[in-house]
Amino acid sequence: MKLFDIVIVGGGGAGLYAAMEAMKTNPGLNIAVISKIYPNRSHTSAAQGGANAALANKAKDDTVEMHIFDTIKGSDYLADQDAVEVLCSEAPKIIRELDNMGTPWSRMDDKTIAQRPFGGAGRPRCCYCADKTGHTILQTLYEQCLRKGVIFFNEYFALDLSVDGSSSRGLIAMNIKTGKIEAFPAKTVIFATGGYAKMYWNRSSNAAGNTGDGQAITYRAGIPLKDMEFVQFHPTGLRKSGLLVTEGARGEGGYLTNALGERFMKRYAPEKMELGPRDLVSRSLETEILEGRGFDSPAGSFLHLDLRHLGADLIKSRLPQIREMCMYFEGVDPIDEPVPVRPTAHYSMGGIDTDNFGRTVMQGVYAAGECGCVSVHGANRLGGNSLLDILVFGRIAGRAAAEECQKFNPSAISEAELTEKEQELRSFMRPQGHYERYGALREELGHTLGMNVGIFREASKIRQGIADIESLKERFQHVRVFDTGDIYNTNLTQVLELKNMLDLAETVAAGALVREESRGSHTRTDFPTRDDEKWHKHTVYTIEGKHPKLGYKPVTMGRYELQERTY
Amino acid sequence: MSDSTIQHHEERRDVTFRVHRFNPQVDSKPYFDDYTIKLERGITVLRAINYIKEHVDSTLTFRAFCQAGICGSCAMRINNMSKLACTTQVWDELEKAREPGVIKIEPLRNLPHIKDLVVEMDPLVGKMQKYSNWVDSKMPESNWGKKEFLVSEEEFLAYDKATDCILCASCVSECTILRAHKEYVSPAVLLKSYRMNVDSRDSMHDKRLADLVQDHGVWDCTHCYRCQETCVKNIPIMDAIHGIREDAIERRGTKDTSGARHAEAFMEDIEKKGKLVEATLPIRTNGLAWTMKNLLPMAVKMVIKRRTPPPPPLVKASKGIDALRKEFREMTSHVGKDHEKKSGE
Repeated sequence: MKLFDIVIVGGGGAGLYAAMEAMKTNPGLNIAVISKIYPNRSHTSAAQGGANAALANKAKDDTVEMHIFDTIKGSDYLADQDAVEVLCSEAPKIIRELDNMGTPWSRMDDKTIAQRPFGGAGRPRCCYCADKTGHTILQTLYEQCLRKGVIFFNEYFALDLSVDGSSSRGLIAMNIKTGKIEAFPAKTVIFATGGYAKMYWNRSSNAAGNTGDGQAITYRAGIPLKDMEFVQFHPTGLRKSGLLVTEGARGEGGYLTNALGERFMKRYAPEKMELGPRDLVSRSLETEILEGRGFDSPAGSFLHLDLRHLGADLIKSRLPQIREMCMYFEGVDPIDEPVPVRPTAHYSMGGIDTDNFGRTVMQGVYAAGECGCVSVHGANRLGGNSLLDILVFGRIAGRAAAEECQKFNPSAISEAELTEKEQELRSFMRPQGHYERYGALREELGHTLGMNVGIFREASKIRQGIADIESLKERFQHVRVFDTGDIYNTNLTQVLELKNMLDLAETVAAGALVREESRGSHTRTDFPTRDDEKWHKHTVYTIEGKHPKLGYKPVTMGRYELQERTY
Repeated sequence: MSDSTIQHHEERRDVTFRVHRFNPQVDSKPYFDDYTIKLERGITVLRAINYIKEHVDSTLTFRAFCQAGICGSCAMRINNMSKLACTTQVWDELEKAREPGVIKIEPLRNLPHIKDLVVEMDPLVGKMQKYSNWVDSKMPESNWGKKEFLVSEEEFLAYDKATDCILCASCVSECTILRAHKEYVSPAVLLKSYRMNVDSRDSMHDKRLADLVQDHGVWDCTHCYRCQETCVKNIPIMDAIHGIREDAIERRGTKDTSGARHAEAFMEDIEKKGKLVEATLPIRTNGLAWTMKNLLPMAVKMVIKRRTPPPPPLVKASKGIDALRKEFREMTSHVGKDHEKKSGE
């Protein structure tokens, strides 16, 4: 294949925005988007609630400054303040831009974009389209990319970067439809592959493919990851499936209640109640369950999200998809019955270490969106900031790559490297020494992470988790791919996804063990308080041999001093 | 509630999934594999076939991603109806099974087959491109990001429901026109076209409409309503199709297609006489030359067999035509508004 100026890996919000912006910056560039699924299937579509921007449509006194402060406070002061400033000051512009290109938004009486309250935010600034905001944004971006003639390589599975010393030659990927290993020589590669929270498997709200492919590929190529121990649990996953009920349900006024019928959030966040930040609300639910105030069922203990008092009309008009999901997956109509919920792994704050332009330490390699870590979310992301993050930093990375790609002159990717890759994949299909089933390993990984590196963590448990991951990695050497065909081999791609999750799980657990404090989503019962003296810093992981080596990076401060975080 | 949960977990039974298999690399023709597994009530079809892939046969191939009914990946034909595997309960399908305890699973129709339950989606994307399924903003790109468009609730509601579409292609799979003509625009693309055409921020309505009235376009639909019955998001797709047709007649007249002229002739007759003037219907729909060329032999046969419809002057207006006309005019004047209301529900 001829040399690309930009190869974008991932077709969700960040990848598609990057593609659009790169084309706008320089229409003459040769740009490709590579995605393992059709871009319109990307997990961006699952974001229900909305995107934060201080448009001040609803609360006239809202400001960018307040959005910055809420985000920094929400991050438990681990976010880099210069990056947060970029995020929040670009927010109104990017929401208007989305509107201008045709994204549907719910509207207020004065015809401006509607905004709703969201957890951890001082003003109602979450812009939304009913409860399908991510879906409509993704559809619009995909449509606009088709309009602009972006070149898509759909159903290509990214395997590895081809690395030449300290720079990248481009990407090696497998065409899922043919099984062929193909080279994508590229001056720049932007990773926009989404998060890694699916490693918690059955206790995750994520799509099956949110397996951290971009993070694992860059990590293996020697690029550092950052803050991997910070995994956000969303308070309201459906009991049986882990699927998500949007924070918008609480934004609209939903109550959380326990088996005693109490609105228990009064104990944990007397002022914000149900609209406390996610980490705090998740811990509150978990505590209620651990202290025996939950409901028991064979599918595990749970609590109630009660929407009944909102009335049928509001539920039907503002939360229609949520109602549908509750009915499909729990058999509960929220108009008539409370919804059974418990916390579910939802979002990865950590990711590929980048600067404010999406650049990594490797020449020509960028990252944006949930797979990157700028960092704007620090130890805990606020609801409504993830869609914003992928849009703002997807666009920035696209522009940076478009402006910088001409500087790079990568060497060619050799045939030998492709052949080697092919043999590596083929080796999983050999019966000799290959007998493990990937499904069992995947479930065990999710189980040990949920038990030992979940909401509440402590040293002995995390050590157990690390030992389990180690043994799963050993067993992975013996995983068998039973489908030996070339065409659309999902047995193979799922095994490769498992490999990525195992590599990353090791960094999550290592970070959880070393960080002896509680901050944001990371709660150590043996170190229950935040320790700014020792731990007000980012953790950074580079691969050494086969295991992560930890380092640290200072947090960029600005005008906001460290404060205790209460709601 | 916990009582019913316990009961759900106690109800277990053997279920057989009869799955369409075909791997073009090794198979000369498609066949079915039966997988019988013990399941508990409350399990979705996707979870069941995931179980089969993980524990029974790892070569079984299908697409799945979000598992929550929003990404549209896992559409397949389950008991002869296209739907999402992730939102379909096994127990519901058991009730519909033709053979007790057996659920049949096949790939979507009307799209090229790749392997097992996977079909090629590129033709659908190609049609989205052909029919400009995007908003071409009234605002020049250089001005984007500076200020919002002002959009009323009513304007938003005009396309709100249509934007629920997740492009799962279930409607494509069940479309009866696509069975005959692969080039047909397809219901999902008509829905999206409609959504763009009613967006007050869009600037290419006329061009899009001009494309839609060409061959294989909006006039090819036969109103079978299969797409609307199938839609996993309960979108009134037929309203969108009717909406495009009405718009086409309003803006472009009836010159585009015999379909439009046929509809117009119908309307004219009903308003004038309360019944059809069949003798001249072909002429008004397709023109005199076409009618002479194509229908003359049949007309001759009809004369011989004395089965000709009465000549126009002999077609008397129906009884109570005045009341009918009044009602008819009332009905037709509401058509446009009704569509808006329905698509906004």
